[in-house]
Amino acid sequence: MATELFTWHTISDTLSDFKSGLSLAIESGAESLLVLTCSQNNYPEEELNALFTACPLKLFGGVYPMLTLQGDLIKQGALIIGFRETFDVTLFTQFNHVTTENSLEEFITSTLKEKQNFRGQDNFLIFYDALISNIEGFIDCLFECLDHGINIAGGGAGNLDFIQRHCIFTNSGIHSDAILLVALPRTLNTSVAHGWKTFDEPFLVSEAQGQTVQSLNYQPAYEVYCQTIENATEYTFNNTDFFDIAKHFPLGIKDINNNIIVRDPILAKNNHLQCFGNIPINSMIYLLEGKVETLVAATEKAAINLFSNLTNTTMPTTMVFDCISRALFMEDEFEKELNVIAEQCHSGTLFGVLSLGEIANSQSGAIRLLNKSIVISSW
Amino acid sequence: MNKALFLISLQHELAMAIGNKLDLKAMLKIFLKVCFNRLDLTSAHIYVYCDQSGMPCKSLPLKGSSYQHFLSIPKNKNGLPWSKNTRLANFARQLNNSKKSISFQCDNGQYLCGFIIPEYGLLTFETHYELANEVQKALQPILQKLATSCYTSIVHDSLVKEINSRQLIEEKVAFQAQHDGLTGLFNRQHINFLLGNALEDARTNEKAGSVVFIDLNRFKPINDAMGHTVGDKILLTLAQRLNSLNTEHMDIGRFGGDQFIILLKNLREDYQETIDQLIAQVNQLLTTPFIINTNSYKLTCSIGYALFPLQSSTVNNLIKFADIAMYEAKRAKTQRGKQYQRVMSDKIKKRLAYVDDMKQGLERGDFQLYYQTQYNHYGDIIGAEALLRWQHPVHGKESPGLYIPIAEESDLILSIGQWVLEQACRDIKKLEQLSLPESFNKIAINISAKQLIQHDFKESILKAIKQNDIPAKRLALELTENLLVENIEDSIKLIASLKENAIDCAIDDFGTGYSSLTYLKRIPASVLKIDRSFVTNIAQSSESAAIASMIISLGKTLNMDILAEGVETQEELNCLKELGCFHYQGFYFSGPLPFNEFAQLFK
Repeated sequence: MATELFTWHTISDTLSDFKSGLSLAIESGAESLLVLTCSQNNYPEEELNALFTACPLKLFGGVYPMLTLQGDLIKQGALIIGFRETFDVTLFTQFNHVTTENSLEEFITSTLKEKQNFRGQDNFLIFYDALISNIEGFIDCLFECLDHGINIAGGGAGNLDFIQRHCIFTNSGIHSDAILLVALPRTLNTSVAHGWKTFDEPFLVSEAQGQTVQSLNYQPAYEVYCQTIENATEYTFNNTDFFDIAKHFPLGIKDINNNIIVRDPILAKNNHLQCFGNIPINSMIYLLEGKVETLVAATEKAAINLFSNLTNTTMPTTMVFDCISRALFMEDEFEKELNVIAEQCHSGTLFGVLSLGEIANSQSGAIRLLNKSIVISSW
Repeated sequence: MNKALFLISLQHELAMAIGNKLDLKAMLKIFLKVCFNRLDLTSAHIYVYCDQSGMPCKSLPLKGSSYQHFLSIPKNKNGLPWSKNTRLANFARQLNNSKKSISFQCDNGQYLCGFIIPEYGLLTFETHYELANEVQKALQPILQKLATSCYTSIVHDSLVKEINSRQLIEEKVAFQAQHDGLTGLFNRQHINFLLGNALEDARTNEKAGSVVFIDLNRFKPINDAMGHTVGDKILLTLAQRLNSLNTEHMDIGRFGGDQFIILLKNLREDYQETIDQLIAQVNQLLTTPFIINTNSYKLTCSIGYALFPLQSSTVNNLIKFADIAMYEAKRAKTQRGKQYQRVMSDKIKKRLAYVDDMKQGLERGDFQLYYQTQYNHYGDIIGAEALLRWQHPVHGKESPGLYIPIAEESDLILSIGQWVLEQACRDIKKLEQLSLPESFNKIAINISAKQLIQHDFKESILKAIKQNDIPAKRLALELTENLLVENIEDSIKLIASLKENAIDCAIDDFGTGYSSLTYLKRIPASVLKIDRSFVTNIAQSSESAAIASMIISLGKTLNMDILAEGVETQEELNCLKELGCFHYQGFYFSGPLPFNEFAQLFK
């Protein structure tokens, strides 16, 4: 039996179409709805808010740059998945008030206390506003404070323009500056891949603050980054948009087991590099490079790993959190990535989002924020 | 990256993560977090050596310091804190005993790898892979650095702790220096200081203010009867209630005992309204009874106030003036408060001069005892009440209604009381030498509140009796009902003790006070004197008759004699007789007489 009983999507960007889809979902007999919409839609926020608050079913989801369904990319429109069970949803909001590590810990532990430490709930999806100030602080703290290990997968919601807007859906409306934890009724299996390889010697992160790398090898980070790329490739940064080149050369932090955590440099400012995730000071980072083939191959391997390990007793739901910058990097060939997953996914619904940052467990069990990666999750 | 570079970079990153915070826990947490991410750990733990009080310390091998779980990432495992995890605890014990790095593969395939933080603790990593030997070795210099940082943090923590405790003590001392120990309100000294500041501010910025003096009425009887614990609870509750009135421009303090001061600053032109409002609020606070140990106490207060800089610009004067005004309010029995007026001070000066005059009068022998005889219904003299009279050399006869209350306010009443006692005893001695009728019992003298609380009161009476060689049964004491109630427990003991010495007591002005029947039953007095207010026109006033009748029945029930005061007419006498009262005193029989004239009655 399939874990979900209703799937509906539209490529129309009008609210009226979405409304009819939502009505169908409500009448489908489902208990919970996962609602995903594209950031390019013309949905008036107030009306969307009213629809969600009036929805009699448990509702959760978010706004993402793009969505995926089976092997297809949905650039505008919406996707609604109806589930048989009522999912437990926990919303964390108002992070702008949480300014210190202690207050964050207090904030999380008080919610955990309310939720009885999510006793009996080991599997979660996480939807969050990608522009939240300290998502890594949150996941680190959640991992530290939870009294049991969890399986988790998720991705950052929002727009590619990096302007913070309301982007997280619940029955109480649309939220910004929010994190949504959705407890799943079944075991979540995940597989993570990125396919990026190192292409030059490592650099010492001599100065960094959160997501900003100020210097590498005690020299301005931006200069080191540009020079290294210009020396090794045909690219020149003059007169070119920074991200147009940077999307080909992310940074990577290697752990003891040679696992690389990718960090996407999205902005150059004041000779510093602004990444989409923290870069630890005094760590060694690499410049990475990739080809569509290696990225897709990594995804294929991850998909094979995941689906070959699933039991055949149920038809699982598979949700993919694929980084938007992979799509921007692969451009027209991006659907290859979706297709290799679809080819391995023989049963159940396969859908996903193109996200701004991905979240998954590392092999050790810790929760990690990833960039330029893909998280395939099945339950 | 080749292995060597990896090891160096690992050492560098971990070493740089040490000592970033001074607080031990924060410092170790940063280090653990870097280990966690860089070494791909499943969990990480630190145990530290602790002294006997459980504080982290350097391990002293001879003293056998114990180690305690200090920090884990994540904090819990399977619903339990890591500190209670048996597997980890066993591993830590093994690690501590071995005194060197050890590793161990668990049943679940996970690995535990432990390191010694030299002299300071134990570090344990849980991994899903086996930590390579070279990595373990690369960590050794880091552990030495971590130990040094632990030392720094422990020293820092102990300094911080010491500074904090010193600060706490200093704050406590500063608080105690400024606040009243019982109520937590400002104490007298600090109120003086604040008033000084307020006066300075008023002078510099042309502002006005007021010192409001609050004194509880009839608080002492509660304290005496119910004990200081109850009294203290009432004061504490009142302080809390007063605090509820606090504003930015107000300071509230306990001046001492049951006296409180409210300092009003920055008063506007409508200051009178503000002060009146405050007085009303204070009175309102007292309308709710104080419930202490299920008993309910209802209190009122007297309030006086003085204005600054209008009425004075010195701390002492302002407090004195507010105090004087409070006493005026108390005398006037008003709850509306009184503003200090210069005339009040003049009155006090006059009073002081009057007291001085009295003192001299006493020395000069201007005071005399007059005796008002007491009769039974057969017309026999049964005794007399000694009444004090002052013949002022200039003013002539002074009214007792004027000078007795003034004497009572000063300690002069004690000297006067002593003189009355001795003079009465001398007069009794003279009477004894006459042929007194069998019906004649005793001479009663009035006792004041201040006399009653003198520790040697009983002794002074017995001494006067002995010195004059008179039978003790000839002397009686008259105590007012209110006086007895104020010192009920002591009064009961005293009266009983006097009774053992054949000295009787009478309860004077009965019916005007608030004595509870429970107390009355316990007071071993012999006579109840019906107050003159119930006797005057008793024949015409059914109410007075009813009260008198009630007192008479009460007296009978309690086995006390009843004596009616202020009998002035035949009609009143008849009425009293009909009600069952057979002992009388009043102008109908005789006015107060000088001793010689009184003695004539027996010749």
